[in-house]
Amino acid sequence: MERTTTMFQPDTVHEIFKLVWGQLASKAERAKDDLDDTPEGEVVAAAGATKKIRSTSANANALKLSCELLHLFVCEAVQRVAIIAEGEGLSTIEGTHLERILPQLLLDF
Amino acid sequence: MKKREGLSDSQCTGQRLRNRLKLAVIATAEREVQKHEMQISPHVMTALADLTFKYAEELAKDVELFAHHAGRKSVMVDDVLLAAHRNEDVVAKLRAFARSLTKSKEHQPEKKRKRAPNKEPDACA
Repeated sequence: MERTTTMFQPDTVHEIFKLVWGQLASKAERAKDDLDDTPEGEVVAAAGATKKIRSTSANANALKLSCELLHLFVCEAVQRVAIIAEGEGLSTIEGTHLERILPQLLLDF
Repeated sequence: MKKREGLSDSQCTGQRLRNRLKLAVIATAEREVQKHEMQISPHVMTALADLTFKYAEELAKDVELFAHHAGRKSVMVDDVLLAAHRNEDVVAKLRAFARSLTKSKEHQPEKKRKRAPNKEPDACA
């Protein structure tokens, strides 16, 4: 297969990652708060706060690689779906075709 | 655009990102489909975009876990490679891509370094 450039932008992927990481962090925080509503109170909370800010960051190349992975995912999905549709002699890809390839696709990625 | 009512901030950004990703998915899928000289129904496109977004979310979780497991706060190329470990072909492709990335990075600073000394004497003169 010849190299085609990705349409996915690292910025977009980065923002999605940050969104998910933010959600995970706040969820973890809430779980922690539920666990320890203990007296030692403020000192612990302050120490925890600085620790919790340790939000994950991403390397630029890692983001580009993630874009590439998503690109491969979509390409693979479309190619598989196209093969199924072709086999049925149709020129339009329908939902049922996607349903057929979905389980294996998800296992492969 | 419709005014969003009762949506939280993160929901808004989530929707925005979903749309942005959808554009990329549509562009990619459209290009891929044209190779087969076929058409893709809008429903399938929406489903595919949704699927890709969910996949990206799962990828984010995986990659963060891997980075933390390695004792890092920053996600590196290796974490992404690890996230794709289910499929050897994908890993091989990504590895080749990663290599090309690091190579191009190595070349760039060299060019800059070569140009910089040339400019300085000009400026002095």
